[in-house]
Amino acid sequence: MKRFLASIVTAAVLLFGGLAQETLGQSSSSKNHIGGTPAGAPVRVSLPMKDGSLKFAAIGDTGTGTEKQKELADVMYRYKQAFPYEFVLMMGDNMYGAEKAEDFRVKFEDMYKRLLDDKVMFYASLGNHDESNQRFYEKFNMNGEEYYRLKKGDVAFYALNSNYMDRRQLKWLEDELAKDTSKWKIAFFHHPPYSSGGKHGSDTKLREVVEPIFLKYGINAVFAGHEHFYERIKPQKGIYYFISGAGGKLRSGDVKDNSPLTEKAYDKDMSFMILEIAGDEMHFQVISRTGETVDSGVIVNQRKKAMSASK
Amino acid sequence: MAAAAVISLALAAVSATTCAAQTPQATPPVSEKHKQAIATFEGRVKEYVKLREGLEEKMPKLAEDSKPEQIEAHKVTFQNTVRTARAGAKQGDIFTPDIIEYIQLTIRDEFKGQERQELREKVIVDAENKAVPVRVNYPYPESQELIDMPPTLLLRLPQLPKQVKYRFVGKNLLLVDRENGLIIDYMLNAVP
Repeated sequence: MKRFLASIVTAAVLLFGGLAQETLGQSSSSKNHIGGTPAGAPVRVSLPMKDGSLKFAAIGDTGTGTEKQKELADVMYRYKQAFPYEFVLMMGDNMYGAEKAEDFRVKFEDMYKRLLDDKVMFYASLGNHDESNQRFYEKFNMNGEEYYRLKKGDVAFYALNSNYMDRRQLKWLEDELAKDTSKWKIAFFHHPPYSSGGKHGSDTKLREVVEPIFLKYGINAVFAGHEHFYERIKPQKGIYYFISGAGGKLRSGDVKDNSPLTEKAYDKDMSFMILEIAGDEMHFQVISRTGETVDSGVIVNQRKKAMSASK
Repeated sequence: MAAAAVISLALAAVSATTCAAQTPQATPPVSEKHKQAIATFEGRVKEYVKLREGLEEKMPKLAEDSKPEQIEAHKVTFQNTVRTARAGAKQGDIFTPDIIEYIQLTIRDEFKGQERQELREKVIVDAENKAVPVRVNYPYPESQELIDMPPTLLLRLPQLPKQVKYRFVGKNLLLVDRENGLIIDYMLNAVP
């Protein structure tokens, strides 16, 4: 009888202890929220969680409709409970293979159903596996355009079509940036201007035409996909570059060893990013499919840095 | 004195080399013959766009917040409508010999040495779209990847209306309709 009661008490402690951890994970005032993921690793948000900050996620190369994409999506959902991001940037290859009506359901809607049900917005850019007509899809929020600007508070996001960077798009980009007074200017698109990938590598022709514009108009950070891994590139001429292309596919071991570009890389499993922009700081955290944090850090706005340096 | 002269010469040589390295590669001027070819080519493309715009206007407009079923239905209807209207379209209707010559020269000039090798690897060796059947008035399969067009090349090729795009399939250069995916025309051996 005593053993039976002890078991009941133990079970109650474990149950309520677990619930307490989940509740703590939903707090908006503390760091390092603890929760649980199906893969076992606890949810640990290392972002500051400041009131009024801009919270979002970023994924690339998702559209496979596979079990692993779903597993990563589930981790994304769990992190959303602890870190309530409002929207997700998609860096292209949103759909692999066919794009019939059923494919949108299988490769996207079913995968991210819980996030969509929570009214999380997805803002897509086009990859080399994406048809231009995706720009009409209601849940990709592209407003019928292959490239577009999105404003969230004092942060401007530029979704570009790196499949087809023609004169028209470059002119649009310059015209928009020329009048943009946002504190943060972030570009996201598919092909990485800088990359340590063995399969693809840096898209130098793309870099040749976009980098001058980015530098001229003060782009702070660039998010790209195409490579099926995560890489944080060392700042290039003051601009921060991220590759987050392992949202649905993984090319294990593809990051070249000892690349002079790499600040941090992870190519052992699929991953996604969560980010928080608060004032002059952009915090980021990269989480794997098994719930491990594989990179994190903070970027100080370059203009703020320059002003501080000049004092 | 002699040493100073040698140093001056050395400095001059370094300066000259540096200046050469920093000077961007100039785009060769376009001949009158090629200007005419470009103008004619652009005119033919605009005629196609005028045709397809006229046909699309008669269809229900595709909203920017469409459901997948609506996108798919619009594309199929649009494809069939344009294909019927261009029933006699054949290779060479738009890519005539004069513009083919200009485009081949432009690609050859834009991609030299190592860059040309990299372009060939990208569009021929590594490309996953080798199975795309290149046939006028038939669609570029949606399940096949797109080879991204080198931006520096796009700046030099004849400019297209937004409804039409260049696309590589192997060494061949296609004109593809952005919405209905139809191959409008193509030229062989664009990549040297």
